[in-house]
Amino acid sequence: MKGRVLVVDDDTALAEMIGIVLRSEGFEPVFCEDGDSALGIFRSAQPDLVLLDLMLPGKDGYEVCRLIRAESGVPIVMLTAKSDTVDVVLGLEAGADDYISKPFKPKELVARVRARLRRSDEPAPEHLAIGDLTIDVPGHRVSRDGEQISLTPLEFDLLVALARKPWQVFTREVLLEKVWGYRHAADTRLVNVHVQRLRSKIEHDPEKPEIVVTVRGVGYKAGATTS
Amino acid sequence: MTAGGRRGRPRWASVWRLLRSRWLRRLRAGLRWWRQSLQVRVLASTLLIGLTALSLVFVYVGQRTAAGLFDERRDQVLLESFRASQQAQQTLSASTAQTAAEVFVLLRGVTTEESTGGPSSPEVFMLRAPAQPAPGQPAPVQVGNTATDPTLVSLISDGLRAAVTDNKQHWQSVAVVNPTTHQVTPAILVGQQVTVPVVGAYQMYFLYRLDAEQRRLDFLLGTLALAAGALVLLLASTTWLVTRQTVRPVRRAAEVAERLADGHLTERMPEHGEDEMATLARSFNGMAASLQDQIHRLEELSALQRRFVSDVSHELRTPLTTVRMAGEMIYAARESFDPATKRSAELLSTQLDRFEDLLADLLEISRYDAGAAVLDAEGRDVREVVLRTVDNALTLAARKGSWLQVDLPAERAVADIDPRRVERVVRNLLVNAIEHAEGTPVEVRVAADAKAVAVVVRDHGIGMTPDEVAHVFGRFWRADPARARTTGGTGLGLAISLEDAHLHGGWLEAWGRPGQGASFRLTLPRRAGMTLTASPLELVPPPEAPSSATPLVGVSRTDPAALPEWTGPFDADRQEVP
Repeated sequence: MKGRVLVVDDDTALAEMIGIVLRSEGFEPVFCEDGDSALGIFRSAQPDLVLLDLMLPGKDGYEVCRLIRAESGVPIVMLTAKSDTVDVVLGLEAGADDYISKPFKPKELVARVRARLRRSDEPAPEHLAIGDLTIDVPGHRVSRDGEQISLTPLEFDLLVALARKPWQVFTREVLLEKVWGYRHAADTRLVNVHVQRLRSKIEHDPEKPEIVVTVRGVGYKAGATTS
Repeated sequence: MTAGGRRGRPRWASVWRLLRSRWLRRLRAGLRWWRQSLQVRVLASTLLIGLTALSLVFVYVGQRTAAGLFDERRDQVLLESFRASQQAQQTLSASTAQTAAEVFVLLRGVTTEESTGGPSSPEVFMLRAPAQPAPGQPAPVQVGNTATDPTLVSLISDGLRAAVTDNKQHWQSVAVVNPTTHQVTPAILVGQQVTVPVVGAYQMYFLYRLDAEQRRLDFLLGTLALAAGALVLLLASTTWLVTRQTVRPVRRAAEVAERLADGHLTERMPEHGEDEMATLARSFNGMAASLQDQIHRLEELSALQRRFVSDVSHELRTPLTTVRMAGEMIYAARESFDPATKRSAELLSTQLDRFEDLLADLLEISRYDAGAAVLDAEGRDVREVVLRTVDNALTLAARKGSWLQVDLPAERAVADIDPRRVERVVRNLLVNAIEHAEGTPVEVRVAADAKAVAVVVRDHGIGMTPDEVAHVFGRFWRADPARARTTGGTGLGLAISLEDAHLHGGWLEAWGRPGQGASFRLTLPRRAGMTLTASPLELVPPPEAPSSATPLVGVSRTDPAALPEWTGPFDADRQEVP
């Protein structure tokens, strides 16, 4: 599993260190030092994953995140010195899939990167149904009445995880492990924010979700299949 | 005793209690009113003083007037009655009556004549003088007494009758009671001796009623009372107005002061005019302004300091990340180093861990200080959170040789919690307990009732003194600075835990006794925003039974049926812990 990773960070020492770690794990790092040039480098490098510092000169991390997300579903992992709810949630809402708060260990960084790059090699063609949606798992396509709905890989994974076991209620911790690859307890806000984002794309009325249903005090489950 | 007897008494008792409580309540309400309102007090004292002064004036004026009227009338009456008795004496002396019957007619004539004319004419009585020791010659004729109103004869006292024998005028003040209306009228009784032909000495009495004077006095007093009433009313309303004018600004000042105390620092008193109240308002506002200024400056300073701590922590993070990663790389390659460099790499790695923990805690506490901590509450089963934390603490417990004993309720204990924070609190408590348990078991109990969920972490280790309990939530406070810190706590753990509990609207409390271990209780409301009143678990554990001194009352130790009879602390244990 090799991949090109774009590291957007203005702290050159940290960027270099991240580069050393990534290279030692067999990834190919590409660097960018400010927010303004980030999109251009992203387009030219075509990375498989973006490591994005939130505090950047020029355009800030949130803005860069939004711009990249507008044209690509590539996994984005934020590097944040702030783990305050607002900052994290803002980043996640801007389109980031995951975040790592500084200071982090090399192992943590590699684990996050691996988890986001891991493409499930699921056996055989698989078609799932959830609500009135059909999911073509190997084709990474979700459609309603033949019309395709564009999801990021993470949102897709989240939906597939729920759709595979429609009878099961998933706690946030289980989803964190299944979709994000966290072994230990982590920030459940990741789940909340991404469920909201997913709902805004697939639900008829995101205020009254029918496909990803909240089970109060436990977690989430897939809604009844209607098609 | 009997049911009937019991039924009867409580009814009266309850009625009495009810009445008494009502009176007490009224009395208390009145007293509170009295205590709380300056206006009421001033008004009441003014009224009291005014009423007393007016009553004194009223009594004095009444007495003086009555005495004056009486004296004037008495002088007039004495003169009049003297003239009348002179006239009667002349009539009597000029008469030619010889027989008893003639004398009686004469007397009747004199009596009626003197009593006629005018509404203020007197009643007249002609009474035989008390038997005087006449020189030998008893009166030849016996003639009865005459009177215009015989019913009033009894008013003439024996003393007066005895006094009148000396030929001088004597008087006496009497009260005449109207037999039908029972109205009492003051009157003056004047007596003088007259000589009646044939029968000898008679006493002639005149009774002058003082109705006119009484009426004048009544009228005067009535007017006076009316004036006094008006005066009191005037006094009361004046006092009310004056105190209102004085009290209102004071009340306003109190209100403004209260609002200031509540944090509305911009609140000010209105300043009108030049009087003392305006001065009060001005000085008050001056004080408020300087207070606001001072607080504002302190707030700014404090915010600056907080931001500094937060900024430093943030700025430290990026270089720390680089150092940390470099350290890890070096640590991973340590096997290829010589022993000294290898050990250095290990130290670097562990100390970086510590540094990182400290920085994280510092940042967390600075976030609390800045008021930036946000509760991210969701309905979660506290049992799950606790269980997960216990799982994570197993390795540490095993290393320290402590058993973890977990007691969870059978039913779900869902509460609105921020799982990240609650987990941190429980982790802190657990690590703390394991650290201080010294190999003894650590108990974790969870219980829930309708309003709250509680987690108690108890160890049986070295314990704490009450003084240590009081400081245990302090920042960078350590029970024993000399103790080795094996797990390397930052010294901020419990302080952050306390803030975490408070952010939930919950409690975090500590208990400890030297040698008996310590107990920490976290109580969280089940719904965000609810106010806690009680905890489902006891913080203070029931006293431990010294195994050798367990009392056993009156039963054989071998008898299994005796077991419920144990009165030792284990029973207390069972009762106290729900």
